[in-house]
Amino acid sequence: MKLKQIPKTDLDYVEIYARKLKENSKFFKQQKKLIESQLKSSSQLAKQKFPKENFKITMRNHLKKIGVLKA
Amino acid sequence: MEQKEGYFVENNTIVINRELTELDLFVRDFLDILKKHSDYLVVSGFVSISTGRARGTEDIDVLVQKLDKEKFNELFKDILKNNWWCYQGDTLEEVWRYIEKGESVRFAKQEEMFPNIEFITVDKTKPAKYFELTHPQKIRVKDFEFKIPPLEFEILYKEIILAGKKDLADARHLRIFFLDILKEERFKEYKLIIIKEKER
Repeated sequence: MKLKQIPKTDLDYVEIYARKLKENSKFFKQQKKLIESQLKSSSQLAKQKFPKENFKITMRNHLKKIGVLKA
Repeated sequence: MEQKEGYFVENNTIVINRELTELDLFVRDFLDILKKHSDYLVVSGFVSISTGRARGTEDIDVLVQKLDKEKFNELFKDILKNNWWCYQGDTLEEVWRYIEKGESVRFAKQEEMFPNIEFITVDKTKPAKYFELTHPQKIRVKDFEFKIPPLEFEILYKEIILAGKKDLADARHLRIFFLDILKEERFKEYKLIIIKEKER
């Protein structure tokens, strides 16, 4: 695939990647790496913030504080 | 090595040519429980991500046909029995006060916060969501088959209702990736429903 013009915006890059992926499924390998690495990072971050001991209590208190859970 | 396209369509099911990710396995675990109790639809970010959008997510939005208290209790017990927990509470009474008002609740694997499932109940009082729930599109990755909204509906919902930067990028991805199978007449039909939703 040849580019018609130089990509400038985020959406241009989204479009290029979608076109490449449509033509060739091998690009899914990179996507898998990205998704799994992000999952690992957010899981580790949450574990640091809410340790295993009293996990639910600490987390629910936090969620109440930020208004996600009803008091 | 033979080059394969990103997807193909087989018996009205979209088949994505890729390996399963850990996120797929997470969603599949939850749907395996949910499907025994209720109809469902996976919407929003996971639709784009499962079809190739290169971005992460921490929550998976799942629409669920509204259940009465007794049926929800059966589902809730089954979810907890399978090592999930609910942000909103450990008992039916705690969680039901959200469900009965049509508010969403979240489930994650025990001792995990992310990723999580946003469990959104739907009935006819939410017409756009009810429409997509009752007009599903099947999609498959390897042996994992699940239901998503019609692609044209999902695109318009992201462009018109959600309309954030991330949503517009998701919509652009879907428009390009599925260019060959999107139908203009469906866009016209669904746009009417979505505009109505926006005006509510």
